Amino acid sequence: MLSDINNMEREVIAEHVPLSASLFGKVLDFSENGLFLVDSDRKIILWNEWMVQASSLGREEVIGTAFVDVFPNLKGRRIESVINAALDTRTASLLSRSLNKAIFPLYLSEVGGEKRHLEQSVTVKPIQSNGHDYCLIQITDVTPMVQREDVLRVLAKEAGEALQVAEEASRFKSEFTSTVSHELRTPLTSIRGSLGLIVSGVMGELRPEMARLVGIAYNNTERLLFLINDILDISKIESGKMDFVMEPVDLKTLLLQSVEANQAYGEQYEVKYVLNDVDDGVTVYADTDRLMQVLNNLLSNAAKFSSKGAEVEINVIPKDAVIRVEVKDYGNGIPEKFQSRIFEKFSQADGSDTRKIGGTGLGLSISKSIIEQMGGAIGFDTVAGKGATFYIDICLFNDA
Amino acid sequence: MLEISELQRDYITEILNISMGSAASVLSEMVSEEVALSVPEVDFLPRSIAAGKFDQSNVSKMSGVTQSISGAVYGDALLMFPEEKTLSIVRILLGETVPVESLTEMEQEAMCEIGNIILNAVVSSIADILKKEIMSSLPRFIHGTGNEVFSVESGNNDDLVMFLKVDFGLESQSINGYVTLILNVDSLQGFIAQLDEQINAI
Ligand SMILES: Nc1ncnc2c1ncn2[C@@H]1O[C@H](COP(=O)(O)OP(=O)(O)OP(=O)(O)O)[C@@H](O)[C@H]1O
Ligand SMILES: [Mg+2]
Repeated sequence: MLSDINNMEREVIAEHVPLSASLFGKVLDFSENGLFLVDSDRKIILWNEWMVQASSLGREEVIGTAFVDVFPNLKGRRIESVINAALDTRTASLLSRSLNKAIFPLYLSEVGGEKRHLEQSVTVKPIQSNGHDYCLIQITDVTPMVQREDVLRVLAKEAGEALQVAEEASRFKSEFTSTVSHELRTPLTSIRGSLGLIVSGVMGELRPEMARLVGIAYNNTERLLFLINDILDISKIESGKMDFVMEPVDLKTLLLQSVEANQAYGEQYEVKYVLNDVDDGVTVYADTDRLMQVLNNLLSNAAKFSSKGAEVEINVIPKDAVIRVEVKDYGNGIPEKFQSRIFEKFSQADGSDTRKIGGTGLGLSISKSIIEQMGGAIGFDTVAGKGATFYIDICLFNDA
Repeated sequence: MLEISELQRDYITEILNISMGSAASVLSEMVSEEVALSVPEVDFLPRSIAAGKFDQSNVSKMSGVTQSISGAVYGDALLMFPEEKTLSIVRILLGETVPVESLTEMEQEAMCEIGNIILNAVVSSIADILKKEIMSSLPRFIHGTGNEVFSVESGNNDDLVMFLKVDFGLESQSINGYVTLILNVDSLQGFIAQLDEQINAI
């Protein structure tokens, strides 16, 4: 950019000045840059209007005067030596504003008559014409650029600080969540234990009305505990602190256990789990408790969202290096609109307060994280009104 | 490839180090900080091999300053550093830390000036050896991969490149950069001839 202008000017000055000096004088005066020319005697021989304005030095004071007499303070400074280099060895130089604060004493007149120092970037170029050497000094006002970058610097700093605050806040939030959840879990566990004893009748026969109320308290305590465990899991997942103990797990044993554990839950919804034949000795590589947690969620979901009296099928399908476990129900399926959000936290197809079916919408989100961290995959197929099939692909154990 | 003798190499290195010394003192004065510059290595390589030197050393992005030179030799002079080094040089010299990952316009301009001082020193050494005048344009900021800055695709791969390693000593660290002069074969032959003449004259 700058160098293009310089090249053009060099040609213009070299070849055409004698033809129409006044025209080119005008062109130079209209320039948005400060321009002046020094000859081999170090005298200033051209001084454009921009220079007149910014320096408050008229042409009559400057033209024909030695550079160091016009700017006595610049004697021995870098600007003087690069002008000498341009005239003696035809070297071009750039003086940036960042490394040379306030090269020339130049000022901007602001509204109200106040004067402010002009931020400058300066180029110094050798020019030859008719066997003579000259040096062209060109000054660009970079005040707007400096101001822009000052703003940028402040903004970038603020953004950095804001980010830090946000990170701290989020760390605080997750620490808070997990501490509070832990603190809640201990007393709740003993409340559930006590209520459980009362409900079971070992503490003596209850009057029917009392039994009903204590039953409600017991069920809700249980729900709260599930919720707290889920929240603890989520905060572990989010802070990357969920640990996995990976080991070879016998799939058939695990599936049988899981079905048994959910039997009672299924009965509440009048749903029967059917485990279709699984080969003996199929071994997967997983964390037993975590895999169990995922299966429990899939089985409980299938029961919750099934029609009364329906069956829930569990199928095992071998696939290359993984094994697929399918949980197939004959419920209402998953509404098309909801499908893309199903693995998100707290997402439930029926988000209303009057929801009949229990749960918090954390189960599938946790399941997905667990399965993926164990190197597997989770997904589903569904036909609206006909049911849903959730599947997980788990890595086979390879003892080779 | 162009073979140069140990003697020729030593001679060039010495002359370059003298002018690097004065470039360093100019820089030190400007930033009121101790800056040391030296040229530990000089090589002549085909352009394609020189470009490869950067990518091989696993530094994918380079940035720096270029000036075109004309007169007794013509071609391009480049000063290059791995991109993140350019950032540290400028920010150490300006004494400012800006939390953005690339140089701002003003910082690019400052880098142009640093490059200008170093490249002018190199070019004037070459001119001294040749005893002829070499003119150079104003500096321009460049960045890209080794191949891009050398424009291997468009340039002539047979061109020989004078390849200098530059040590930029700042605070307690030493930053390695490279200066290359892309010269056409004619300029180079003249250069070698002059070199011999001067060595013989010693
Ligand atoms: N088999 C299914 N059939 C139909 N909808 C399902 C099925 N499984 C899950 N969903 C839908 O996905 C939502 C999220 O399931 P998820 O397991 O994450 O939460 P939840 O079962 O509601 O609560 P939680 O598991 O946390 O106790 C459910 O509320 C339901 O709307
Ligand atoms: Mg669930």
